[in-house]
Amino acid sequence: MSDTVAMITLALRIAVPAIMLIIVILCFLSLSFGRREEHALIALDDEDNNVRYPVLFWENILGRSRNSDIRVPDATVSRDHAVLLRREEGWFITDTDSKSGVYVNGTKTQGRHPVFVGDKITVGMTTLTLRRADDPTDANQRRKISPPRQRSTVSCSFILTLITILIVVLSAEGLLCSGSGWAMPHALIFCGVMWGFYTVSVRFFRRKSFELEALAFMLSGTGIILNAVHDQKQGYIQILAMCIGIILYCFMLWFMEIPDRVMKWRIVIGIIAILGLLLTLAIGKNLNGAKNWIVIGPVSVQPSEFAKIALIFVGASTLDHLQTRKNLFGFIIFIGICIGIFFLMSDFGTALIFFVTFLVIAFMRSGDFKTVILAVAAALLGVFIILSFKPYIAERFQAWTHVWEYAEDAGYQQVRTFIYSASGGLFGMGLTRGYLQYVFASESDLVFGLASEELGLITALLMSITIGGFMIYARAVTTRSRSAFYSIAACTSGGLLVCQAALNIFGVTDILPLTGVTLPFVSYGGTSMIACWGLLSFIKAADERTYSHKKSKIPANALPTQQ
Amino acid sequence: MRKINSRSFMILLMTLAFFAGLTYHTVNLVLHASEWVAEPTNSHLTDVDGLEFAGKIFDRNGVVLAQSIDKQRIYNDDEDIRKACVHIVGDNSVNIATAVQTVYRSELTKYNFTFGLGLPDNLKRGNNITLTIDTRLQKAAFRALGDYKGAMFFYNYKTGEILCIVSTPAYDPQDVPEDIETNDKYDGAYLNRAFSASYPPGSTFKLVTAAASLKEIPGIEGSTYDCHGSDIVGEDEITCYEPNGIVNIREALAQSCNVFFAKLAVALGKDKMTAYAEKMGFNSRRSFDGINTASSIYNVSEATENELGWSGVGQYTVLETPVNMAMISAAVANGGTPVMPYFISSIDGKPKNTTTLGSQMMDKEIADKLYEMMDYTVSSNYGKSYVSDKLDVCAKTGTAEVNSEGLAHAWVTGFCKDEDCPIAFAAIVEYGNYAYSVAIPMVKQVLDTAADIYKKS
Repeated sequence: MSDTVAMITLALRIAVPAIMLIIVILCFLSLSFGRREEHALIALDDEDNNVRYPVLFWENILGRSRNSDIRVPDATVSRDHAVLLRREEGWFITDTDSKSGVYVNGTKTQGRHPVFVGDKITVGMTTLTLRRADDPTDANQRRKISPPRQRSTVSCSFILTLITILIVVLSAEGLLCSGSGWAMPHALIFCGVMWGFYTVSVRFFRRKSFELEALAFMLSGTGIILNAVHDQKQGYIQILAMCIGIILYCFMLWFMEIPDRVMKWRIVIGIIAILGLLLTLAIGKNLNGAKNWIVIGPVSVQPSEFAKIALIFVGASTLDHLQTRKNLFGFIIFIGICIGIFFLMSDFGTALIFFVTFLVIAFMRSGDFKTVILAVAAALLGVFIILSFKPYIAERFQAWTHVWEYAEDAGYQQVRTFIYSASGGLFGMGLTRGYLQYVFASESDLVFGLASEELGLITALLMSITIGGFMIYARAVTTRSRSAFYSIAACTSGGLLVCQAALNIFGVTDILPLTGVTLPFVSYGGTSMIACWGLLSFIKAADERTYSHKKSKIPANALPTQQ
Repeated sequence: MRKINSRSFMILLMTLAFFAGLTYHTVNLVLHASEWVAEPTNSHLTDVDGLEFAGKIFDRNGVVLAQSIDKQRIYNDDEDIRKACVHIVGDNSVNIATAVQTVYRSELTKYNFTFGLGLPDNLKRGNNITLTIDTRLQKAAFRALGDYKGAMFFYNYKTGEILCIVSTPAYDPQDVPEDIETNDKYDGAYLNRAFSASYPPGSTFKLVTAAASLKEIPGIEGSTYDCHGSDIVGEDEITCYEPNGIVNIREALAQSCNVFFAKLAVALGKDKMTAYAEKMGFNSRRSFDGINTASSIYNVSEATENELGWSGVGQYTVLETPVNMAMISAAVANGGTPVMPYFISSIDGKPKNTTTLGSQMMDKEIADKLYEMMDYTVSSNYGKSYVSDKLDVCAKTGTAEVNSEGLAHAWVTGFCKDEDCPIAFAAIVEYGNYAYSVAIPMVKQVLDTAADIYKKS
């Protein structure tokens, strides 16, 4: 390499994390600015006591307990009395096994019952009248509502332009460092797909926000170039998988638009997932240590990746379902079967991800730490039994926290990750200029190390932080979701992505045992890429704006009145 | 929904844990990067061009031991110096684990974490490292060892500077022999025997037994023993090289009477022997300048009474490194506490080491008695001029039997009394058999060279 080329490469290597940092900051700023302020959708008036209860959410628990969304201080009202929820058709109330029942205009209700403006809802000794919330600054509403903030000035097309620059810089770096333009076609196709999807999303779906997708594109694109510079074919597979992932993403957003449709289909989804896993167990191939591949001709897929999506469908729930059927029995059976199958496949990474996801869902649904602690205790016991009966599994974990003592066998990959991450420094050696690429599974299990060595620690950390950011974002939109289903699904999906990222990153950096799972969006692995886009749709769906184009037909506070 | 929101707090905790993990990894990486990057398995550095921009290595007098010119690593012009210094300087690859070019590779290549190893060539510049060794002594020691395998270690017991550290067999780092892995001649050539090998210490271990006895057995200096060449200790015999007649502890050390010291070891018992050996550096690893030495070992937990006796004269399973042995002599010369040795003088012009005391090995009073006894050993047994023409040397030899055919390693350790030449040393000659006729003349060559250089009058 001549000195000039070397200096240009250095400049490009510094540019990559700089551009990435700007993208990440802009996206998260934009995500936090673009949200609706909480204001009442409708109100319930207690005319006897002259109290007004603003209804803030799309699904609300009505009851006496302190955590209720609509808290009625009446001793005859159950702690969790009913759920008041909004659907496209209008407002409904569901009695959630209350002692004294729910009466609408004097008639006792069963199941979901529509309510209209002017209706009188009687719970216990209290009668509430449904009203429009015309005055959002009602005296009873303590919180001061500031005028809606300006929409962030950063346009999504600007962010996409930055991502385009990032990908071009990366492929140029690949060209200068390796002398071959292997990643050039990938960069071109990728940018085409990204801008194409953006156009469709804005024009056809009329979506206003694109930050979440932009971040996923940033991760996927970096991963694609990182793969393509080492192996062109892998790069093409990743691009193809990303396209399929985007289609899945769009389909799932359509499917989830009506939460009640999801609630109807969830058992079917769960059964399909279990059948898929059983099929894998029966005819699956053992590639790289875990028997979780189905090979059909030139295509090999990992059904366990799709089972992650099914898991969230089965686990998440709307608030009225949640309040009426509090036990987790069916869900626990589903999880038990899945984890059992993963153990038979010796796919411990996925088993662990499912277990953590189960804990998240179980807690989100029940809010009960006792259940969670009990589950962890049971799991630890299970792990202990398995380890004592299957010593070869224990062997896999023997190097954990002692990798330097096993530098040539069980700790080989971790030790190389340390050495080559240290060699890469903050800005990396340059694409293809590393040595971790020659270590087994470098572009999947060790991709964090590969990125650290060739792109530098900052880039590797920014990609990890972005995945963590998905989860923070998922949590931030919880109360603004159109249903508890979306909230739970988004938090769980975020939790799953972060859990998987943690197992991947901390596995190779010896903070956790190495289990061999992929880094979401970045690692090589077609099925994983598709599933990650699928998981992202849960977070997207939780953002109220996703379906807000419907608002043009039905304004948020427009209510059908009784005919 | 408020309930769901409050429960999602758990999610936030998970994310925080994730970020905490990332922070931990980052801190861990930044703290250990320079150490990890210098790992022998790092292909970035062990490729042929790993040292193409590395800094120079100098000896204490500014003699260049290694430098990089036009991306080539060039070692000293003198082949003997190259071979004599290969174990301390190292070679292009990282075969010698304790060499400067292995352990200090990241300093030599001026590694910093910001750019890792990714700086363009025209911005690369290495750090120079100055060592405390003296190439003249290196060369003398290397020539003295000749075809023998072994090691010599000389250091200034007042400042800690290592003046000479030579290990054989050695090889030329400029032209590494192709059969180095297969030819028996190069067996263990990658090992710096002064740091990384431990041998049965034989009679040199009597210094430890003597120090323990002088402290623990009242009236020991007045008691005598009539040596007939062998005696029953415990269930079996302890033998001497020849009958020593009536000896006290001073004579017994000078004439190296095995029975006398074996009896002392038994009288002291396992616990006290172990305690004193550990005080004098056994059963632990020494480390200095980023290098861990091999362990010296004294373990008599399974020993019979006879074996305990043999352990008192440095046989049985006792093992010692040359560097530990030199430190025991240094402690005797220095009033009971040795100065820690070091070999890096400065990196990039910045001094790396200062004189530091190690842990105390014996009381001053005991050290002074051993001082006089080692002095007497030389004057009564070998004659001062046999050990050095120009320096006043106190020493103790050892011939450690290593197999039933009577083959033995030859040891000598000691120190110079001269104020202007405060050197403590240890030398091991593998299968040298005779400490007196093989090891001492080798040491003499180095000591006389040192006297020419450092002695003022």
